[in-house]
Amino acid sequence: MKVFITGATGGLGRAFSIECAKRGFDLFLTDLNQYKLNTLKKGLQSQFPLVEIEVCASDLTNEEDVKRLLKFADTKQMKFDMLLNVAGVDFEGAFLDWDSSHILKIVQLNIEATLRITHEILNRRKDQEKFYLVFVASLASLYPMPLKATYAASKRFLYDFSIALGEELKTKQVSVLSLCPGGLPTTEEAIRGIQVQGFWGEMTTNRLESVAAMTISKVLQGKKIYIPGATNKIFSVLGKFIPNTLIAKLLYNRWSRAQSHWLSIKPQF
Amino acid sequence: MKTIIVTGATSGIGFAVCKSLLQAQYRVIGIGHTFDHCEKAKTLLRTEIPDQEVEFFYGDLMQQREVHRIADQLSEHIEKTSDSCLFGLIHNVGCVRSWYSTTEDGYEQQFALNHLAGFLLTHRLLKYLKNESGRILLTSSQSHQWMKIHWSDIMFQKGYHPLLAYKQSKLCNLLFAYALNTRYPSREIQAFCIDPGLFRTDIGNKKTGKLVSFVWNLRKAGGVLPEIPAETYRFLCDQKKNPDGLYYKNCRKMPFSRQVNRQNAEQLFALSEQFCNIQFGV
Repeated sequence: MKVFITGATGGLGRAFSIECAKRGFDLFLTDLNQYKLNTLKKGLQSQFPLVEIEVCASDLTNEEDVKRLLKFADTKQMKFDMLLNVAGVDFEGAFLDWDSSHILKIVQLNIEATLRITHEILNRRKDQEKFYLVFVASLASLYPMPLKATYAASKRFLYDFSIALGEELKTKQVSVLSLCPGGLPTTEEAIRGIQVQGFWGEMTTNRLESVAAMTISKVLQGKKIYIPGATNKIFSVLGKFIPNTLIAKLLYNRWSRAQSHWLSIKPQF
Repeated sequence: MKTIIVTGATSGIGFAVCKSLLQAQYRVIGIGHTFDHCEKAKTLLRTEIPDQEVEFFYGDLMQQREVHRIADQLSEHIEKTSDSCLFGLIHNVGCVRSWYSTTEDGYEQQFALNHLAGFLLTHRLLKYLKNESGRILLTSSQSHQWMKIHWSDIMFQKGYHPLLAYKQSKLCNLLFAYALNTRYPSREIQAFCIDPGLFRTDIGNKKTGKLVSFVWNLRKAGGVLPEIPAETYRFLCDQKKNPDGLYYKNCRKMPFSRQVNRQNAEQLFALSEQFCNIQFGV
């Protein structure tokens, strides 16, 4: 089994890399920073000496750079069994608080780059074998989210896209899963984000290690959507019965409170 | 003048240990997480105890590349100021995490910081320690009791429990000290672990969730000030002859878990060498 992981050096990417290595899958990892990739490769190699690991840095929003990445894979004649689209970005805050280049970056990476990679890697899947495809959407993909408007909409794109693509590729032995996690305690900033949300922050937070393990298990079983955590599942069901405009209103109240609180506290170490 | 390095030196026990050692006329090198914390600690120490040599270096010891970077700086500094001699290395830095999270190397954070960082730093500074029959002190804890090393899943990737991960990392400290003492004669180096007991520190409030933080607040309310456990560190450094125990509390030898034995110590040592890509040699 050979797995391609984007955004591999981030918190979720690392958790997926470890989970796959643990299962004995060979890895091809990419992210922006070659140095960080090498560090991760070394650490994984010491933990899992039998796993084959290749790394190559690439800016997935840059078409030329992606070509270089794919050439690297092609010269090594890599064919894949699984693709985990982890790379994604969000700039926390209101639409007008950021200049348009930042806002567009969210779309360029979360949508455009993800589609580019997905297309290219699907064309590099092994002949006559099953292929497993994972999109990291988000709990945010289930609702319109003020203050995370672009991010949530970009994840909504992936969510809908993955369900539709899964249907298209059913006969081609490709199984497509959309992962919709709540908060993940991956970085100091993410942990702060969970802290400022208080009770509901902790309730919607998912355990990184179990999300990684369950995602791989679910996509191997052919599941299509994975919403980790009981609270999140309940929220996702509730979301279906409440009008979008009302949800947006409720979420705006909650997030603007959390955010003003966030800005008022200093980072603690 | 003898030089001693203290990690996690900007707050809690580490800061109290620095203060106590400076008062006892040691030259102290502190290591902290950020530039700001180090500057603040340095200024405080220099005002409280003037005319003593104290220097600080900062970095994120959880990441192995940072341990190497700091070790490079420390080596240069020790060669320049201390004649390539290091008398003490106090691994005090530690963390608590509510959730499973990894370092850039893909190692679980508590394991990486509480154990591997000290392991790697000791390796890097070993020759300076040997030059002065150095002592290595590790901040362990009574919570190492009733715990076994999870050999099949040492990073708790299958299911994380903050307390178990913490307990295991403190057991690792004892096993590492034990292994050092069986590998090296005491005229070269000698390692000790210290149980600071319950004292007021914020370790359980840093980057943890509400629940862990809440439980920690209840716990620390009954604790003593960090100056009390700091005495044990100074006691172990002050003894002319190497004390013969492994595990100390309140300047007294304490019994430790039966899990601390040769087989576990060697197994952990080999595994840690593998995780750090190093060989200790003899």
